[in-house]
Amino acid sequence: MPSSRRAFLGAAATLMVAGCSSDVLGLRRSVRVAVSWSGQELRAFHDVLNGLGRLDYPVEVVPLGDDISTAFGARSTRRPDIVMLPQPGLVPREREDRDDIQTIPDELAAPGRARLWNDLLVYDGKTYGVPFKTAHKSAIWYRPSVFREVGVQPPQLWSEWLTINKALSDAGIRPLSLAAGDGWVLTDFLENVLLGIAPAVYAGLATATEPRPSREPEFAAALRLLGSMWSAPGAFAGGVKRSLVQQFPDAIVEVFGHRRAAMVLASDFAEPVVRSFAADPDDIGVFTFPALVPGAAAPVVVGGDVMVLPKPSSDNAVDLVRRLSTPAAVDPWIKQGGFLVDGRVTGYSPELTRLAEQLTAPNGLLQFDLSDQLGPVGGINGLWRVLTDFLIRIGDRGSAVVPEAVDTAVAELREVEG
Amino acid sequence: MGLQTNGLSLEVVGREVSGRPVAGKPRRPAAPYLLGLPALLLSCLLLIPIGVTVVAAFRTNGGFGFGNFAVMGDPGALRAVGNSLLWVLVAFAVVAVGFFLALLSYRLPALTSFLQPALVIPFAVSVLVSGATFRLIFDPAPEHGTVTAVWTRLFGTSPVWLGPGLFWLVLVSAFGWTWLGYVVSLFRAGLDAIPDDITRTIAAEGVTGWRRLFMLEIPLLRPITGVVTLTVVIAAVRVFDLVLIVVPGSMQGSADVLGLNWWRATASGEDPGRTAALGLVLFAIVAAVGVIGFRGLRRRRWAFPVAVVPPDPTLGRAKPSKRVRRFGWTVGFAVSLVWILPALVLVATALHSPREAGLHGWWSLSGLGFSSFSAAANIGLFRALLSTVLIAGAATAVLLVIAVPTAYLVAWGGLPQWLGRVLMSVFVVLAVTPVQMYAAPLRDAIGSAGLAGSRIALALVHAAAGLPFAVLLLRSAFASAPPALVSEALLGPARQSAVLATVQRTYRPALIAVAVLEFALVWNDFIVGFLISGPGTTPLSLVLWGEARQFSASSGTVAAAAVVASVVPVVLMLTFWQKVVRGLTAGSRP
Repeated sequence: MPSSRRAFLGAAATLMVAGCSSDVLGLRRSVRVAVSWSGQELRAFHDVLNGLGRLDYPVEVVPLGDDISTAFGARSTRRPDIVMLPQPGLVPREREDRDDIQTIPDELAAPGRARLWNDLLVYDGKTYGVPFKTAHKSAIWYRPSVFREVGVQPPQLWSEWLTINKALSDAGIRPLSLAAGDGWVLTDFLENVLLGIAPAVYAGLATATEPRPSREPEFAAALRLLGSMWSAPGAFAGGVKRSLVQQFPDAIVEVFGHRRAAMVLASDFAEPVVRSFAADPDDIGVFTFPALVPGAAAPVVVGGDVMVLPKPSSDNAVDLVRRLSTPAAVDPWIKQGGFLVDGRVTGYSPELTRLAEQLTAPNGLLQFDLSDQLGPVGGINGLWRVLTDFLIRIGDRGSAVVPEAVDTAVAELREVEG
Repeated sequence: MGLQTNGLSLEVVGREVSGRPVAGKPRRPAAPYLLGLPALLLSCLLLIPIGVTVVAAFRTNGGFGFGNFAVMGDPGALRAVGNSLLWVLVAFAVVAVGFFLALLSYRLPALTSFLQPALVIPFAVSVLVSGATFRLIFDPAPEHGTVTAVWTRLFGTSPVWLGPGLFWLVLVSAFGWTWLGYVVSLFRAGLDAIPDDITRTIAAEGVTGWRRLFMLEIPLLRPITGVVTLTVVIAAVRVFDLVLIVVPGSMQGSADVLGLNWWRATASGEDPGRTAALGLVLFAIVAAVGVIGFRGLRRRRWAFPVAVVPPDPTLGRAKPSKRVRRFGWTVGFAVSLVWILPALVLVATALHSPREAGLHGWWSLSGLGFSSFSAAANIGLFRALLSTVLIAGAATAVLLVIAVPTAYLVAWGGLPQWLGRVLMSVFVVLAVTPVQMYAAPLRDAIGSAGLAGSRIALALVHAAAGLPFAVLLLRSAFASAPPALVSEALLGPARQSAVLATVQRTYRPALIAVAVLEFALVWNDFIVGFLISGPGTTPLSLVLWGEARQFSASSGTVAAAAVVASVVPVVLMLTFWQKVVRGLTAGSRP
């Protein structure tokens, strides 16, 4: 049938023309935003972008995952226009070592000069990033029903936490679910303990130009404390081997979906995962990392995603940063949960409001994530690997093996430090 | 056998006369050389960066030397080399298993009808998709992972399949699933091409079983074995995205292969000289395999008696007994079922809501629907689809336009013999060159030309990377053209262009094979898009990979995106598979 054939060819031609618009050909310059998010977070970010209204330029989201720092790699000649850097601690390094980050125009600089952020983002009076999202990395999500069953309350002290774990184990409930497949979960755990026992050492390591954590006795002490919890037989749902292949959403599903454990250390951004997989939507609770010693403040490890402009930046990229930093821009994400904005305490779920309040409380023991600021020592071949090996050596074996494992871990780390 | 009388030398040959029909040196016009010009230009896209890498690998602070190769002393790099060599063994195992499956399906023809589609589908989907599928199947949660669920049901508890050491099983299964179909199909085509006369003669002489295997099938299939082993071994050494998607982060270190090691070193900003050295070592391994394989290919010369009488269809192969046929059906059905299962798992997972897919396995009956597909649509899947169509279409078109004249030039263009040989060797080496050899300089060059993120640039790189293989394949198809046809064209009033037209008309299967394979290869590509175009372009595979980072929680979305990404190559391969196999085996037929 010639007529239908002609119609088909016409349609094909139209499609071709539409498809070959310069946008798809990649010739028109779009603003490319490199992000580390995937899954629900990535979709939420797309919603945020869609909520910005009509833009004069196309925006392309480039999910780089854990390899986000390659966006700055020496070899990437044309980089993304905006990097949503999930490790704000990398900013000073990038700025000093490579001098490849653009300063932020003054009218956008205010959020970057806020408390805590200014240590990382401001240098010599100039601001090098705009915070987009804040993360509370000292949150433990748990199932209140299990706590009620055993008759315990969320812990205020590290020692209470160990007692709770024991009580749960005795009642036949696995206390913890651990996402050891994601290295940052392990480092977050250690950072909380270290910050809790030795804030000064933590701060010193964070600002050192050549940090050598293995030389700090407090670092080994933190490992020993951590070992006292991790080595307990039956501490982890599925055992250590299962933990090693779990990513953080898997660990959450273990607690709330399959109900095989009582609690999981996960940041505020775990909220949507918790809610979407929870078997019982009312059985969700959150407590914050307890103080390590009586009388001390509870540690709060802070993370976040900061918008950074690699050099040279375009006007469109600056414009997008401006639009994304308006308070209303992130509302779609806040509505979906798991999103905290620096300095804001309203509009969240009750659980996240608690976390937001702790972040804004004065006198809090707040520090940025340490591992990002350690350079390669804190990276995938450094602290990540050392802690993974540490976990394998002590998991399910009881506290007797801890001292030796701590020595080995410190020795391994020393090797990395060189 | 020959005889000489009266200064006349006679030779009795048992095959078609393949020499030049007219004695003497033909006129050699220069014009045909122009046919090779576009290919030369396109190949420069690879040749120059390869040269840059080689120079960088040998350049040290104090001049030239092997200083950069000290990087191989690094335990991480050593482990990567070890793992890459292990992969070569895996490839040989896949070829062996495929050979026996092909033999089985040849002896029991009833198998073919099931086996064929079941084996072709995995070959059509991308490595990323098959990796994702096997990770789903081996998921450690008994509610979620098929194997874990079955194992737990049978034995009460199950090993952690993705755990230390055992992840190799998942990797090898995914690799085998992908490649076995290709291996079986090619061997099967080779077996089918064995003339019945020989089979009957051998049978009449009472040669059976293993003896028959070593006397008949193995020697006759040598050329095809060469092609098959070459492709599978090279695929095994180049394994990259499979490890990325299958192995959980905490074990990536122990699963490291050379290609990945190179990428990690590049990404972490290691010295370019040292990464170039790593790339060169990878290249050396692959090139060694390639050269050995190709030499094996050239060493075959089998003369078959020309079938003067067309075979009588009633005299075909003897039908196996009823019992054997029933056995064949059962085995074929079982194998096909096992083989199609991963694809079913993927589709069934995609048909669950993201929540249900994250919590329970594909067999769960609740939460059915298309919500995972809409979730996948939200991450820019359709834009990526359009982008991929464009890149794959452009790359295929450019490749065909350039490869056909080049292959013709090499086959019939009357090149001096030495030049032809040199060209073929260059193409063989280029065909096996890993992306890591040219990625870094090429990306820099594209970047400084202001073309980074351009899909056209990416399509051109794809075309350049596909060119060597396409020329090799087309050349052998052209070269096996009946000489009569060519001589007629050459001697007649027709000119070169007419020869080209004739040859082209006759050798459609090879053309189709090249087009279909290139399109599917580019469509499924991860590594070229990932290493060369950087984060700029977003072909399907990169979107899929981004989504797969939180694997089991986003199983539904990953599966939906994988299904959408696989529809086009699967339909394409299933439609053209017979022609592709014919095209692939045209030049290597006994």
